[in-house]
Amino acid sequence: MNVCKFANFGLTAIFLLFVLFVESMNAQLPRERADADPPVDRLFWASSGIGISTVESVSARNLNSTVKHTFGLVDGGIDRFFGLDDGANTRLGLDYGFHDRFSMGIGRMTFNKLVDIHAKYNILRQTVSGSKPVELAVKTSVGINTFPGTGRDFSERLNYFATVMIARRMGSFSLQATPMYAYFNHVSGNNEKQLFGLGIVAGLELNDRFSLGAEYLPVIGDKNPGTYDTAAITLNIDTGGHIFQLFFTSSQWHNESFIMANNRDRFWEGKFRFGFNIHRVFGF
Amino acid sequence: MNILLSLIVSLFCGVCEDVRQDVVYITDSGHAEFTSRVPLHTFTGSSDHLHGLIDFDENLVDFYLDLSTLKSGIGRRDRDIYRTLNVDDHPFAEFTGSLSSSFDINSSEIQQVAVRGEFTIHGVTREITIEGTLQKQGGELHLTAEWILDLEDYDIEPPGILFYRVDEEQELRIEAILNSSSRE
Repeated sequence: MNVCKFANFGLTAIFLLFVLFVESMNAQLPRERADADPPVDRLFWASSGIGISTVESVSARNLNSTVKHTFGLVDGGIDRFFGLDDGANTRLGLDYGFHDRFSMGIGRMTFNKLVDIHAKYNILRQTVSGSKPVELAVKTSVGINTFPGTGRDFSERLNYFATVMIARRMGSFSLQATPMYAYFNHVSGNNEKQLFGLGIVAGLELNDRFSLGAEYLPVIGDKNPGTYDTAAITLNIDTGGHIFQLFFTSSQWHNESFIMANNRDRFWEGKFRFGFNIHRVFGF
Repeated sequence: MNILLSLIVSLFCGVCEDVRQDVVYITDSGHAEFTSRVPLHTFTGSSDHLHGLIDFDENLVDFYLDLSTLKSGIGRRDRDIYRTLNVDDHPFAEFTGSLSSSFDINSSEIQQVAVRGEFTIHGVTREITIEGTLQKQGGELHLTAEWILDLEDYDIEPPGILFYRVDEEQELRIEAILNSSSRE
């Protein structure tokens, strides 16, 4: 009988504790994420790689400044200081994020004194949950050859570019396929007025500070005479404020249209050059 | 005997419910802010997604913030912050505790208060006391509080390279208007 009473008392005590516990749990606020399906973080470390644009967007009200350099061929040896004596093709660029998904920018490079104006829009963001398995962005650009004394009128100096960037991050590895199209209003000799390419960009994050990257840009279909597909490898360094990209590439040009049109060096035959890019973002 | 005991418990619970105010104070749009220092530079990040509850009957103070809502004005830096705080695995900064000082609910004056409880960030929980102010205005409670968070206490490695690192001490500030809401 005593055992029975003790059991009853025990059951009641457990019930009471349970009620109090549940009440206490209910009293706290339920924890809810602001964005239940957040996007994947940082597929690539910069909005443009060595030569190919990436799906990485410039955040709203941020200004991304870039300085890009490529030097002469490394096989010039010590006499040419591995290409650094041969002069650099330098591009200075600014990209402003009007929205987290939309940016516009302008850049100017040494070769052809080429000015490019471009816009990029992120249509789709890859999500952590996998509900959106890929990141998708489009970019269009107009290039203006401002080199003096060529005798060309304004329209002959223009070229146009469009690309779709499809990328996915898988763990610390990211891969982007980049079909692209370039059109030149004026070409010399037997060069093609329009070029198609399929850029491949790969990134491997080693840790928060270092990542490796590679790019390959084959021209699909007719190529300009004497030109070859472009390849490049890079080491990316995130210093907190800046992203540095130290790379070897076969092409000395800095945007996709002219990489496809003008690369005359074969990476796999040792015809590559050193270059480095610096990216810095400012908030406004 | 068992039935009688359960009846007494139920009556006891019922009586307790009756003497409560049946009012809690809640916000889902409080402001949270941190100030970080790096050599030669200071930056601030903030969020207006601070969720909070103050229940005087239960003497419960419960706040949380989804850390991925913090914005510092530079997207890339925000992503660095989220990584540093490991937001994917530990998305919330949370405080759950109770008022450790008195508060006169019938006064509309600004009153200094202190709360003591558990603060959790980066998956690490520490017992802390936070001082701040509370002011009752009509059906609202105005709350402000400031304290210093030492990153080392929460196993957070200050981001940076060599000597250029974020200071371990972060200044935290919260400000919220909590509206009265009937207990459900």
